[in-house]
Amino acid sequence: MGESSSASYIRMVQHLIEQCLVFHMNKDECMEALAKHANIQPVITSTVWKELEKENKEFFQAYMKDQEEKASEMEAVERRIQKMLAETAAKDSDKED
Amino acid sequence: MLAVEALRGSNGEDRDGSSDNFSVDGDFAGGTLLEDINFSDLFMGIDDGDMLPGLELDPTETFADFSVGWEEDLGSPAVGEATDGMLGGVTQDTVVSEGEKDLRHGEEATSETTAEDAAAMTSEARSSTPDRGRKSSAAAAAATATATTGSQGKRKAKVDWTPDLHRRFVQAVEQLGIDKAVPSRILELMGIDCLTRHNVASHLQKYRSHRKHLLAREAEAASWSRRRQVHPTGRGVKRVGVNPWLASTIGFLPPPPPPPVQPFRPLHVWGHPTPEAPVVHMWPGYLSARSRSPTPPWAPPQPPLPPPPDPSYWHHLYQTGSGEGWVPHAMAKGAPCFPQPSPMVRFAAPPVPGVGPHPMYRAVPPTMGKHPSSQLQLDASPSKESIDAAIGDVLGKPWLPLPLGLKPPSLEGVLVELQRQGVSKVP
Repeated sequence: MGESSSASYIRMVQHLIEQCLVFHMNKDECMEALAKHANIQPVITSTVWKELEKENKEFFQAYMKDQEEKASEMEAVERRIQKMLAETAAKDSDKED
Repeated sequence: MLAVEALRGSNGEDRDGSSDNFSVDGDFAGGTLLEDINFSDLFMGIDDGDMLPGLELDPTETFADFSVGWEEDLGSPAVGEATDGMLGGVTQDTVVSEGEKDLRHGEEATSETTAEDAAAMTSEARSSTPDRGRKSSAAAAAATATATTGSQGKRKAKVDWTPDLHRRFVQAVEQLGIDKAVPSRILELMGIDCLTRHNVASHLQKYRSHRKHLLAREAEAASWSRRRQVHPTGRGVKRVGVNPWLASTIGFLPPPPPPPVQPFRPLHVWGHPTPEAPVVHMWPGYLSARSRSPTPPWAPPQPPLPPPPDPSYWHHLYQTGSGEGWVPHAMAKGAPCFPQPSPMVRFAAPPVPGVGPHPMYRAVPPTMGKHPSSQLQLDASPSKESIDAAIGDVLGKPWLPLPLGLKPPSLEGVLVELQRQGVSKVP
């Protein structure tokens, strides 16, 4: 018989998850996006994600590592920005005086 | 339509050309209406764009052109077997002749033979015929083709662009250089008899526009990150030394880290493996990217889904129709999807960077949330529009290959897990 509808549904979810991965989203973001844009219950997304993770351990490990790196990069960036803003603000107030 | 109907009606009952309008040789044994149809009659009453101009030509001339091509196509044993009775059209030659011209007739034939065909054809056709529309009678197929492609104005034999065929095509094109690829040369390089220059030309056209689209999307994604980078580069200098990847400029922009995840080279997505990367059969993209990529190493290859070149190429993938399910189809098509072999290879590929659209700023990871004085709400998630677009794409075009080609989870595993979670069934 043709593919069952469940199977094709799951395949679709996998496809969507892969898209999210391309966008570097994490699992939660993915769940949210899929729920929002594709009406997929988060639990389903989560389950498929986990199963995908099991099947593709290496990929996900690398992916997670990458996510962490980026997170820390972002932190550094944000700190820097904060600093700059602070500096600018200080300068401005100086000028105003 | 009417003319055909009339003919058919009379044909069905009265084979022998009771009317003297049958100028077609009554030699066709086991004649069916298809065979008995008189072309000139057909054409007389019908005068529209669909019915290809210049059809007043001697049919035999045109047959010659097509029969070769058709022969290949119709070689499958299933062809002969699947039909019977009314819609016979078994004789390849006749069918051939009918095919191109007999749009309307073919359409009817199509619907009627579908049922029989589906059964008979599936197993045979599976590996070689991506097009579900390939009915035993070429007529239908031709009709489908011409109908599908609309009136391209010129008559073309319908060619099955199997993954294999397509691969050879692409090889030939690459050899010649995409810009220099001329259909006649491509034809030579491919060395396949059943292809006419026409077929190649139109396929080339599709391929080119497909590529353009991909490149455009790629460029779009590239501009994502480019934009970030293109800022006064003053500060960037320091960092560059540290890590070439952190090419970006000011501290403002999150440097694009080399991702472990390499989405494909979209150019390859169009259903076929790269010739250069036999190992990674599926997503040769990033491996061969260096050699093919015109874009600077920077440019993140674009996220997925190129538009399908032509629904008929792909839709069979998702047409259940037969018992094969999806995977076999995928394999047949050069499986752009699940790279069973060596997933390792993919990850190992360092190369070409960039990964999907680069997030502008990382969405507030929990650790960052605690900046009380933060006036910035750095939102790193990719824009909603692009996510939406990508998701929409997936939903709307299920036949598109998976961008990452991860190994699919076992169906049972998922279902069991879902049940555990209390989800009784998937929608």
